[in-house]
Amino acid sequence: MSSKSGIATFEGHRNFRLRLILATLAGKSIKISKIRSNDVNPGLRDHEVSFLRLLEAVTNGCHIEISYTGTAVIYKPGIIIGGELTHVCANTKPVGYFIEPMLYLAPFSKKKFSIIFKGITTSDKSKDATPESIKWGLIPIMEKFGVREISLYILKRGSAPIGGGEVHLLCNSLIPQPLTIHALDIPKFSAIRGVSYSTRVSPSIVNRMIDGARKALRPTGVEVNITADVWRGENSGKSPGYGITLVAESKKGWRIVAEGVGSAGELPEDIGETVALQLLEEISTSAVVGLNQLQLVLVYMTIGKEDIGRFKLSNSQINENFIWYLRDIKQLFGNEVFIKEEDKDYSLLSIKGVGFTSVSKKIA
Amino acid sequence: MESQQSNKPHRGGTAKTTAKKKLHQNGQNKKAFAVNAPRKLERMARRSHDVNEKKLHVPMVDRTPDDDPPPVIVAVVGPPGTGKTTLIKSLVRRLTKTTLTEIKGPITVVSGKRRRLTFLEVSNDLNSMIDAAKIADLVLMLVDGNYGLEMETMEFLNIAQHHGMPRVLGVATHLDLFKSQSTLRTSKKRLKHRFWTEVYQGAKLFYLSGVINGRYPDREILNLTRFISVMKFRPLKWRNEHPYLLADRITDLTHPQQVADDPKCDRKVAIYGYLHGVPLPSQDATIHIAGVGDYTVHSIEKLPDPCPTPYFEQRLDDLERERAKAAAAEGQEVAKTTRRRKRLEDKQKIIYAPMSDVGGVLVDRDAVYIDVGAKESFNKDTEEELGEGEKFVTDLQDVQKTMQERLEEGPGLQLFSSSSALNRIGEEEEEEEDDDDEDEEEDYDEDDQVVVDSGRKALRRPNVYGKSIAEDDEFDNEVSDDDEDHYDSDEPKLVDIDFSNDNYANDKLEYVEDSSLESDEEPASVAARLQGSVRRRWDINKLLYLSNIDPAEVIKRWKGQEEDDEEEEEDIEQEEDFFTKKSSAEVSEDLDQFQPTYPSIDILRKKYEDSDEEYENGYKFLKDRFLVAPKMSEENGDEKEGDEEEVYGDFEDLEGEGEDGEEGGEEEEEEDEDDFADFDAEEQKEEEEEEEVDDENLTTEQKRQLNAEKKAKLKMQFEEEEDREFGADDPEEEAETWYEFQKNKMAKQLEINKAEYEEMDPEQRISIEGYRAGSYVKIVFESLPCEFVNNLRPEFPIVLGGLLATESRFGIMNVRIRRHRWHKKILKSQDPLILSLGWRRFQTLPIYTTSDSRTRNRMLKYTPEHAYCFASFYGPLVAPNTTFVGFNIIDKSSTTGSFRVAATGIVEDLNSSVEIVKKLKLVGHPYKIFRNTAFIKDMFSNALEVAKFEGASIRTVSGIRGEIKRALSKPDGHFRATFEDKVLMSDTIFLKTWYPVPVKKFYNPVTSHLLRDHDEWKGMRLTGQVRAENNIATPLNSDSAYKKIERTERRFNALKVPKSIKASLPFKSQIHTMKPQKKSTYMAKRAVVVGGDEKKARDLMQKIATVRKEKEAKRKSKKSDKFKERLKTIAKKEEFRKEKERERKKEYFQKEGKKRPLAASSSNAFGKRQRT
Repeated sequence: MSSKSGIATFEGHRNFRLRLILATLAGKSIKISKIRSNDVNPGLRDHEVSFLRLLEAVTNGCHIEISYTGTAVIYKPGIIIGGELTHVCANTKPVGYFIEPMLYLAPFSKKKFSIIFKGITTSDKSKDATPESIKWGLIPIMEKFGVREISLYILKRGSAPIGGGEVHLLCNSLIPQPLTIHALDIPKFSAIRGVSYSTRVSPSIVNRMIDGARKALRPTGVEVNITADVWRGENSGKSPGYGITLVAESKKGWRIVAEGVGSAGELPEDIGETVALQLLEEISTSAVVGLNQLQLVLVYMTIGKEDIGRFKLSNSQINENFIWYLRDIKQLFGNEVFIKEEDKDYSLLSIKGVGFTSVSKKIA
Repeated sequence: MESQQSNKPHRGGTAKTTAKKKLHQNGQNKKAFAVNAPRKLERMARRSHDVNEKKLHVPMVDRTPDDDPPPVIVAVVGPPGTGKTTLIKSLVRRLTKTTLTEIKGPITVVSGKRRRLTFLEVSNDLNSMIDAAKIADLVLMLVDGNYGLEMETMEFLNIAQHHGMPRVLGVATHLDLFKSQSTLRTSKKRLKHRFWTEVYQGAKLFYLSGVINGRYPDREILNLTRFISVMKFRPLKWRNEHPYLLADRITDLTHPQQVADDPKCDRKVAIYGYLHGVPLPSQDATIHIAGVGDYTVHSIEKLPDPCPTPYFEQRLDDLERERAKAAAAEGQEVAKTTRRRKRLEDKQKIIYAPMSDVGGVLVDRDAVYIDVGAKESFNKDTEEELGEGEKFVTDLQDVQKTMQERLEEGPGLQLFSSSSALNRIGEEEEEEEDDDDEDEEEDYDEDDQVVVDSGRKALRRPNVYGKSIAEDDEFDNEVSDDDEDHYDSDEPKLVDIDFSNDNYANDKLEYVEDSSLESDEEPASVAARLQGSVRRRWDINKLLYLSNIDPAEVIKRWKGQEEDDEEEEEDIEQEEDFFTKKSSAEVSEDLDQFQPTYPSIDILRKKYEDSDEEYENGYKFLKDRFLVAPKMSEENGDEKEGDEEEVYGDFEDLEGEGEDGEEGGEEEEEEDEDDFADFDAEEQKEEEEEEEVDDENLTTEQKRQLNAEKKAKLKMQFEEEEDREFGADDPEEEAETWYEFQKNKMAKQLEINKAEYEEMDPEQRISIEGYRAGSYVKIVFESLPCEFVNNLRPEFPIVLGGLLATESRFGIMNVRIRRHRWHKKILKSQDPLILSLGWRRFQTLPIYTTSDSRTRNRMLKYTPEHAYCFASFYGPLVAPNTTFVGFNIIDKSSTTGSFRVAATGIVEDLNSSVEIVKKLKLVGHPYKIFRNTAFIKDMFSNALEVAKFEGASIRTVSGIRGEIKRALSKPDGHFRATFEDKVLMSDTIFLKTWYPVPVKKFYNPVTSHLLRDHDEWKGMRLTGQVRAENNIATPLNSDSAYKKIERTERRFNALKVPKSIKASLPFKSQIHTMKPQKKSTYMAKRAVVVGGDEKKARDLMQKIATVRKEKEAKRKSKKSDKFKERLKTIAKKEEFRKEKERERKKEYFQKEGKKRPLAASSSNAFGKRQRT
């Protein structure tokens, strides 16, 4: 797979962000070719170009070459610099698309990360993370890896299609490498929390979503606490929209998150119920973390110390994407994982860290 | 009664001083202040605490495997003639009873049950010293007792210090040269203290007296070996993060044909050695070969240990015995292993030194040399007549082809030069030939031995691609040799090197089986299996990384069996789902999304409503995923929530459910107490359960199984506990101090690692863990420069260091650097400096900088004398916090007696670019001055430059500040500027700016191993050196020359204030000027009356003066008269002289005039005269 010339090659637009992020962390050049080459509208999309631009802004000395048709990208990473930035995101994707990969880079940069993302905060068109799910779903997982001071603030909300939202990502902890984790027992969730938000619509919609979700979650018997978050005026962006994010919390700090955004013609109650059921589904088919947090955990475990970290996994989580993640990681970091099937439902994943250390950090 | 009452009389206080009272004699209880000298006690306590604290080091994980660690690398360092070779010989002799005649390359010997030592003789070359300092675990620093520490020793110590100080053991030699005992004693003491200041207080220094039989005295060497073999080593940071290897054998695998075609072609080279440090990744590892360059590994193979420790061998035996036992239990007939368990002690004393000469056999790069001692050297070209036997041998040496070949090709085999060629080998004849030789060799293969005995010195071509019988025998011997260790064999025995073949895999040896050969086969076998039965359940680990199988396919295969087990319908449904998902994903083309895909709401609803029969019990299948509030708090919770009546109902239901099974209730109760402590309870419960089970009589087998399960459970719980500990806090506070806590944490993590690795099969283990330290590996590189092979000199250590991902990238490193205080010269910016940083040695151009109060990095021309400064240079990135050493020269020929370590430093920061500036002052002059505005010339040459500096602040020499406003249109480069005050025409205007200095991207790796003379590598020279060698004068900019500064005193005109202004000035600011004086002063107008002696004296003086004046006047007039007289005579003389002159001239010209016509008439005569 990996070529001799030291440049890793990938094909297709799958895991576009992950591949670039891994290349940046590993410091290896990559080439991604055949990006939507068979599509009617070939090449990179606006948001992908915008993401490349963001990557260029947070690193120093990186080199990006996009082919004439936009179907191939050569990326030579630089050193992660961070700093204070404002990124105007492409309107084709919500800000979560851009924030999520930054979570991988932020703790390993030279300066503290403080980026304001402007654009759409929630979109019903794409399945990208909302700021809520990052804040409640991913950041607590990062804390497990020793990234303690990272926070996300929603300054303004903006729903699709016009947006007008602002989200501030702030990472104050610069660590040499993530901690090695051993998550061997399946966490029990003691509470379900959530946020139901709306912009430029009737505040009652928020409560209707809460009702719908509550109804579905009632039989679980755990504490359910959903906050209503209605945004008005200037800070609520330019388009109407609403949505709900639910998080199951365990006492040990593990989280499972599900979210939904309302689109035209949908009943708010239905959304609440859907998200609640999706959360239950996610809990029932996951072990320690949900599917949407898996990528983060895999990458953070890979770039740990040269020790073995262990992590319980539900067998249903071993899916196509999971394998893609692992293969991408292997191609750039060269390490493999070991999966030990414990029983019908669960497996234990052992990853040996690659002994990564953040080279950007300056010594005092 | 009342009167008779007699009270007990009061007993007064006794005046007796009791013992207790004595304690209080001095006003305080002596026992309360038991310490006589509290200060002293405190000091002592503090000191002991200090000592204890000093012992602590930052806890660091030791990644060297403890069961089979790699050999300890012992570098023997010292100036020439201090006895390095003698020491190694003595040590080797002591440890293995082998006498070495020559030391080339590393020598590995077994020194104890679990320890091996690799001796490395470090020559006096700086490159070797650097490489050795990076890998040595222990340094035997040889010091000549007569001279003390020499320059090389100091240099080595300084290099070692900055690459993670290894253990240093001083060895003082040549002590027998001291005549008197007292001088010996004092010099020993002096040496010891000098050594202590260099290494650390109390460092061990050994003393070796004279040489006996070419070795040091046995007793002293014995002590030294004992000391070495119990020595402990602390992990060093750099080595704990990188794999590395000291090559002890090198083979050129290039096809001979290729070499024949192009002698300069890149070579395929195999390098052998023991791995050290962290495990080496099994695939695509990048390795730096010190002195050669960075290369990607082509293949790695683990080989059987050529020098196994007794412990390791014992373990192998145990393993085999166990296997045999298992086989026997299964009822199989096992072939009896013939391996002997008991070995003589001596047989375990193995020595492995392929590059050196061991037992007379020397395996070199491409040949085998056999030493016969110096007694008789054989030379084919010698004049003297050879004996018949010798002639045979020489003829045999000349043979280019095998007998077989010659028989096939040529006319036949000619045994004697005189005899006729044979076409068939007659056995008798051959035997006859053999009989001529002294030994009883029988076949052709052993003819080489004959050669050996007769003292052959010429090369023998190794058989590289073919496989010889000798080779096979060799390895069989090694494994199942009963009575003879082949390395120890007394008689020189031929070792045929055949490096390329992989026949180890065929061996029965367990450890051999994890060679990469098998993993190579894997894809094929998997593919083969793919064709086969579908019933087989796939191992997910094997499928994960098979790049030829699509991930979707992987999942399908992996789940294959499960699907079978499940209902058919569901299966189909899933399949369909699967395919639709995949296809939809491809169409919707968003393969980079966050939210997973869930089944549609209807399916979900159905799923969760189906459980509605048990609705009252909640979602049953989710029960174990939720930690439901307990009964007690439940009610409290209810009170809080109040309005949630339905929820309340649910809780009641739950409780009911809990009651129906005792187990469930128990569990809940336990859980609610504390999430963390539940395993304790679980354990208890488990025990109870098991006891119950135990009561029912079970077979011992079952019991054993139960026990095993129990153990596994306990282990799991222990690990869970660890898990918590890994989080943040330590609830039980097992560890007393933070230090101990960290140590425990590391130890536990190592245990986990070990346990995990042991679960994997060997091949998986290698792909996940890599090749771990202690394994003997063969690393093959595809294309190394031919010079590496051609100029190989085993005396120079070949160090292979693994590189991390970032270390292959190039960038700019910002470092803190200091000129070494023993280096004689300061260092100049942009002068080449050879750095030893990480594994690499390279030359680069550092720019020295200083930080101007953290606002900018200002360039420094030279390093400061005795302080750290910063430097930036271009090169391969190395993680911050790595220390390095810099040199100006490393080649032997330019080495003078001075200290060569030029600078030391530490990497602080990496970046892709760096902003370094130097000061630039632009100077201009005003040529037209208005009030606060002035037109400035001479600063810029065109308007564009001015535009760039618009708004920049400028100032005059006198300190008037101003600003550049606008370029003037007419004279190009002139501009208008405003100042805070009026400037003078004579003022000079300055513009202070900073000029960026780019870091030159110069990186020149020290490729010393590619040179013929490894110690003569010369990089880019210093500018000064180049000038000196080419006799070029240093260019001198006249502006830069130092001249005497001439400053004319400036005279300022008096300040003139107009009257109108003066009038309007406030009193305070009035200019006070005195009016000119009108009245004559007293001095002027007073009358002086002279009288008495004063008057007489004055009168006298006046008279004298008058007389003198008169005399003077007379003399003057007389003198002038005389002068006039004299002038007259002179004029007369002149007149006379002129007259004379005139006459003479007249006479002359008359004569000349007569000659001319004569000359014109006879030109010949004239010409003749001309010639003479």
